[in-house]
Amino acid sequence: MITTWGADPAFNMGLDEALTLSRDGGVTLRFYTWSPDTLSLGYFQKVRDVPGCERTGALVRRITGGGAIHHVHELTFSISAPASHPLYAGVIAESYMRVHGALCTALATFEIDAQLRGARALASDRKTTGMCFHHSTDLDIVWDDRKGVGSAQRRTRGRVLHHGSIKLATSSLEGEIATLRARAPELAVHDVAEAIKHSFRTAFALDFETAVPDADERTAARELGKRYVSHDFVHSR
Amino acid sequence: MADTRSKTSRPDDRRYCETHEWIKPDGDTMLIGITDFAVVELSNGNEGDLVYCDLPEVGRILKAGETFGEIESVKAVADLNCPVAGEVIEINSSIEEHLEVLSKDPWKEGWLIRIRPDAKSLDKLMDAKAYEKFLAEKAH
Repeated sequence: MITTWGADPAFNMGLDEALTLSRDGGVTLRFYTWSPDTLSLGYFQKVRDVPGCERTGALVRRITGGGAIHHVHELTFSISAPASHPLYAGVIAESYMRVHGALCTALATFEIDAQLRGARALASDRKTTGMCFHHSTDLDIVWDDRKGVGSAQRRTRGRVLHHGSIKLATSSLEGEIATLRARAPELAVHDVAEAIKHSFRTAFALDFETAVPDADERTAARELGKRYVSHDFVHSR
Repeated sequence: MADTRSKTSRPDDRRYCETHEWIKPDGDTMLIGITDFAVVELSNGNEGDLVYCDLPEVGRILKAGETFGEIESVKAVADLNCPVAGEVIEINSSIEEHLEVLSKDPWKEGWLIRIRPDAKSLDKLMDAKAYEKFLAEKAH
């Protein structure tokens, strides 16, 4: 398990790619936050479809799909593992149900009754913002009738990167969504990370060793991260 | 547990990869697409869940196993990999606007790119029977 608090956007994205491309076959759970506040576009999103993208401290494009996330008042996590791992095996929808099941268990420790959305519409759904939290599918995690966890995956070279985002509070671009502090005002990102780690450890028999990125991972993250903030990549669509 | 997601047996006029692409000889060229299994894996059987696809430019030279494009469902982006080395000579550009075709007919209408291969042998790839055995083992 790796934690990196307050890292810059290029490093954050580069480290996730480095961990995903890792050939050691392991599972890495990572928790992180961003500085400055950053808007991350989904891999296929058009810049013009996200009106708020000029109103944040930085702009990146992820390699995972889905909608844009404003990384502020928020815990980001990633899970890198082989596609054959029990966490990710089978159709993508099933892997979402496993990951989201463990997240719902973690959220229950804060007395948040998080559930999968199912067929209903949400009070947080919006059509024109391009924000992930304003677009929901049946497998999304909700509480208070609003979307509470942003999720997206990348499947490449036999490995899977799952990105997740849980908001402590709303942001200027993500109003009317489910937040942790609406239910637990004193909650900090570290508390949430600990609960998620415990839930994944229990659900998937994973024995996480807490670490920081080693020198090779930091070097790879810096090198790979350049692309994510480059004008050509960010504005490629 | 056997793979029961598709009742249709896979065509035996082409070869298959473990990353779920197929490649079919067509004269001096070869057509490449993705299998019904790949489509179901991405879309969970909902054709509207496939939302974007990026294909390469004509003229691009690809190595065996190289990623030539990407496809996105509502919940994941996945690589498209080229089974053999060759040059892209045509793309099925209509697919990018009509991804539902991949759900309806991944074997014929749903081809993605046409390449001029460096070599004609596909012996290292799986035939339909071996691919279905691979899927069955994967499901265990």
